[in-house]
Amino acid sequence: MRLSFLKEKGFSSIFLVLFLLLMCGAYVATQLKIEQITRQKIPGSSIIYIPSGKYLKFATFGYSSFLADLIYLWAIQYYSTYTISPEDRYKYLDHIFSIISELDPRYLDPYDIGALIAVYEARDPDLGFKILDRGLEKNPEQWIFPFEAGHYAHLVKKNYKIAQEYYKKAMEIEGAPPHVKRLYANAAYKAMDFQTSWQTWVEVYNTAEDERTKKIASNHLYQVKAGIDTKMIEEAIQQFKARYDRNPMELNQLVRAGFLKSIPKDFDGKDYLYDSRTGEVKPPTIPWKR
Amino acid sequence: MAAVLKIEDLHKSFKTGFLLRKKKILKGISLTVEEGEIYGYLGPNGAGKTTTLKCILGLLFPEKGKIELFGLPHHSPRAKERIGFLPENPYFYEHLTASEFLKFYGELSLKKRKELTSRVKELLHLVGLEEWANLPLRKFSRGMLQRIGFAQALFNEPSLVLLDEPLGGLDPLGRKEMRDIIVRLKKEGKTVFLSSHILQDIEMICDRVAIVVNGQIINQGTLHDLISEKILFTEIILSGLTAKELEGFGERFSFLGEKTLLKVFEEEKIEKIMNLVQKRKGKIHSLIPRTQTLEDLFIGMVQKG
Amino acid sequence: MRIIAIALNTFRETIRDRILYLLLFFAAATIIFSRFLALITVGDRVKIIKDVGLASISLFGALMAIVIGTQLVYKEIDKKTIFALLSKPIHRYQFLLGKFLGLALTLLILLLLMSLIFLVLVFLHTSQIDWNLLKAIYLIFLELLLITSVAILFSCFSTPILSSIFSLSFYLVGHLSWGLETLIQKIEAGPQRVLAQVLYLLIPDLENFNIKTEVVHNLPLSSQFFFFSTLYGVFYTLFVLTIAFLIFRKRDFI
Repeated sequence: MRLSFLKEKGFSSIFLVLFLLLMCGAYVATQLKIEQITRQKIPGSSIIYIPSGKYLKFATFGYSSFLADLIYLWAIQYYSTYTISPEDRYKYLDHIFSIISELDPRYLDPYDIGALIAVYEARDPDLGFKILDRGLEKNPEQWIFPFEAGHYAHLVKKNYKIAQEYYKKAMEIEGAPPHVKRLYANAAYKAMDFQTSWQTWVEVYNTAEDERTKKIASNHLYQVKAGIDTKMIEEAIQQFKARYDRNPMELNQLVRAGFLKSIPKDFDGKDYLYDSRTGEVKPPTIPWKR
Repeated sequence: MAAVLKIEDLHKSFKTGFLLRKKKILKGISLTVEEGEIYGYLGPNGAGKTTTLKCILGLLFPEKGKIELFGLPHHSPRAKERIGFLPENPYFYEHLTASEFLKFYGELSLKKRKELTSRVKELLHLVGLEEWANLPLRKFSRGMLQRIGFAQALFNEPSLVLLDEPLGGLDPLGRKEMRDIIVRLKKEGKTVFLSSHILQDIEMICDRVAIVVNGQIINQGTLHDLISEKILFTEIILSGLTAKELEGFGERFSFLGEKTLLKVFEEEKIEKIMNLVQKRKGKIHSLIPRTQTLEDLFIGMVQKG
Repeated sequence: MRIIAIALNTFRETIRDRILYLLLFFAAATIIFSRFLALITVGDRVKIIKDVGLASISLFGALMAIVIGTQLVYKEIDKKTIFALLSKPIHRYQFLLGKFLGLALTLLILLLLMSLIFLVLVFLHTSQIDWNLLKAIYLIFLELLLITSVAILFSCFSTPILSSIFSLSFYLVGHLSWGLETLIQKIEAGPQRVLAQVLYLLIPDLENFNIKTEVVHNLPLSSQFFFFSTLYGVFYTLFVLTIAFLIFRKRDFI
């Protein structure tokens, strides 16, 4: 009996299964067609949900560090998405990272990353400084923030004065490694603050714990002295030129003419090199090859 | 004249338990219900009565066997148009009122719009629920639910009415009313298939019965054929005789002080007792011969099976 | 018609289910909350209201479909009301289709209610009617129909709790299928890739019904996309309903 019963239902069963497969094929075919239709995507459109400054307290309902985490994670995703249109991308960069800082001031990573994005991606070193300043303000024990700021100033913005200031700040924080001082001294040199640079290198030389550091300090001292000396000599040359309308034949003439008390020797006691045609004064040795 | 319902060698198993073991419920049921009769389908709980009914109605798919309604395959809509079903423990949509409910079922039986409302009124009157036409079903008592269930079963004037335990849960008055309705159905020429285990009522109204035990029909036929009319024993209630004097006549039960209930098995002894009572100036209060009841038969069959 | 009778009965039954109104309340609350969310975020106020509004209509609509749909057939079987029903001269497919249409009608009404609140709020902010919003709501309705059919499918053989979990999974998978697409590009060409591509085409892509981005940012919407998304919804829904019917028709009701 089962067989004949199945035969009765069997016919419609086959029909149903065929219909099922037909529908499956139909929706798959439709899906393929839909895939071909391009839909414009707006990457990063979720930015509209970033809290604005006012009422931020209300936005958190007591879960501020959690919200800070979420926004930070979102921000990393957002700023890794290079398809977001360039004009708008960095519009909210300051705002987003200031929000994160406000929600969880002691969360350190966002300061680093925010500054990184600002400097290298948005090409706005000042914003980077702003972010790192905020980081230091909220976390005064973190020498790394002014340290990084110093680097950005030195390498990217090439403003050695600012770099010098930052390295000083970093140097003065407890726990800063010794090489920060050396960076400070070097930045001072580049910023043409030879006095500070000399003094600092002397300190470094005197407090050096190994030969290598001593050598480095000594090289830098050579360099600074060379800088001070060549500057002094070149100033005298300018004065000579102003009076006699030509460069001096040799450096001693500057002494005889009374522009200099004596010709300084380099750090090792050697004479400086002088080219009377161009008026250029150079140290005889390259500091690093001593 | 085709049989109204014909079942041939019906088998049905279920897969139960964790290991999905096959349990056979119906092991070859065959029966025929003729037009115009009240057919009783009896059995103890778990015998397979409801399973059989569900197979007839298409709620379960038989493993093996054939079921025909009015000569048509049992699952065809044309056959279904001519039957009505009242399930056991009827439970209906709570949120509907009585008349909304009947109207809904009426729409399913494809009654024409115009006839719908009048038919609903008619049925409510038939089962005595006119007063509560607008009461939501969730406020109905058990008996009322039974009655509205009956109404729905009769909606499209079915030729065959299938009732699953229709008398369960009713008070004696309710049971009487239900029996009257069933008998009236027969008078109107309808056929009734009645599944129950309340034997007294079956005895009163059924023409033929089938007794099903453990998925098999162990006996079927007219009541007349199944139950002998032989007198099993006579119950006499008398007073005026002492226990010693009654010894030997039959089983004796003490009863309300002076009266004694005596169960006499042999017919000759009845006359002797009556003479004895007269001699001792006692009194016979009642004398009732007891024949075999359906219950006796039933218990006997079940115990044998 | 019998299907319509069952549909209307289902409609009457489901529209009185109080849980729908609870969900409606939360949907309305979320839509109104978007107004305040707009105050505390940097985004354009109207953008946020539209975005959150459409998202909550879609989400709460899906929850309504799942909560009610998963009970629909199960309740009839569990409460045994299905016995008397199926003893009537109706086909089992008429029963299923009636249930589906009844719930669809209920969802339509609730969707319209949610949309009304939403559109009024948008109108208060922009003083104009954005027809694109209606298009978005239309697609959401198609999505809800598909989810309803899935809920009914599971309701035919599973308890409401399990059915709800499966239906919710369907909803989630449907919205995250783009993840599979991204993954496919990373697999090297070969049988594994083909298998993954086939899988990707078979699983539902509910993002076809999501035009929030286009509507919120006023991007162009091609009518081709509209047409094919509608077809997709229709075909997939029929597919699911056919599976439901295949399971339901041979079912023993113990």
